[in-house]
Amino acid sequence: SWTPLEHSPSPCILADSREISSGPGVISCLRAVHGLRVQVCSLGTSDYIVSNRLAVDRVFQSELQSPGNRNKLSQRLQRLQGVFERICVIVETDRVRPGETSRFFQRTQHYDGVLSALVQAGIKILFSSCQEETAAMLKELALLEHRKDAAIQAPTEPEGHRRDILNFYLSIPNLSYGAALNLCHSFGSITAVAN
Amino acid sequence: PVTAGSIVVPYGHVIGNEKWRGSEVAQRLQGKVRLIFEDGLGLVDFHLSNRTCILLISEVDLVAGDEFKRRLVRFRNASSLRGIVIVEKTQISDQYYSGVQKFVVLELGMVLLPVANQGEASQLIVQLVSFCVREQSRERGVNPFLRKQRAQLAEPAVLQAVQHIPGVGKTKALLLLQHFGSIHRLCNASISELEQVVGQTVAQQIYTF
Repeated sequence: SWTPLEHSPSPCILADSREISSGPGVISCLRAVHGLRVQVCSLGTSDYIVSNRLAVDRVFQSELQSPGNRNKLSQRLQRLQGVFERICVIVETDRVRPGETSRFFQRTQHYDGVLSALVQAGIKILFSSCQEETAAMLKELALLEHRKDAAIQAPTEPEGHRRDILNFYLSIPNLSYGAALNLCHSFGSITAVAN
Repeated sequence: PVTAGSIVVPYGHVIGNEKWRGSEVAQRLQGKVRLIFEDGLGLVDFHLSNRTCILLISEVDLVAGDEFKRRLVRFRNASSLRGIVIVEKTQISDQYYSGVQKFVVLELGMVLLPVANQGEASQLIVQLVSFCVREQSRERGVNPFLRKQRAQLAEPAVLQAVQHIPGVGKTKALLLLQHFGSIHRLCNASISELEQVVGQTVAQQIYTF
């Protein structure tokens, strides 16, 4: 049966704690403008987790421009691929600092190469011009995953003993934060999971 | 003509739609890739390989209205090829970009890449072709973003996990694993079995956990 979205709880997005400093506009916009639940936690692997299967990384356009960053980026994305079924990269235009005139973006061959490699690897790419736009994209992605029944449904803030159990699950390689939350939520104990 | 089916692209070649003959994109591609023009490609602008093709959307298309959307939907319905949409994102067409992106990437599930002009489009196509060629030649390991399957040693990870049990540090974790061998057996151990390895208090802590 079709149930209107308004009736189901609004989708939840997990944000990595580093994003508080590097993308405060994204998080506050998600909460204030789009009314989403944003849980800040130490994800380690990706910047955002939008559903049980989709991780989103936010990268600056300038990071794709220089060959020096390639190793870092590829290691990060390879690790993500071990954990998530789907990966999306949001390429954000670099901020223009006060007193600086808009920098001229010179498209490099390296940049095109990185984009081609991402496409070939099946990684979804979105382009954003600012943090507010990035927030809007995260919201769209979350709604889309919600419609596909992949939204994060488990409570995102386990407390006390459950917190310890969550940390235990998080230490299992290739298990995402969302999956660990689901294990916490669905099973009574670690013994139940092990059996 | 709604042709959107696959065609055979010779190795390392690009097949371009006849309508692009003499265009800036085509001129810039020539010399960098082996470009052949063909009639009747229908919706597709360039075929990069047997399974990847490009649909170009110009600044003019964007400003003109929704015709390009109908074209993409027709392509999506008629073809199983991987379609890469390259869109001309200029100062004029910038305002339409986010809407187009939502439509192409989120609704149609296709790839969308912005370029500033035809020159950039040709540069991008050259790079895409080089990746298509590598893919065909099975040099998949070359792609820095494709995960290489490698076996991970489980032991260090298990050791790490066991240390998350309250009261258990590195030494006790090692002892417990030596004794029980796996997390599965550790979970099903009774208090008395645990007591043989660690003290009474810790055994109780592990059991409760």
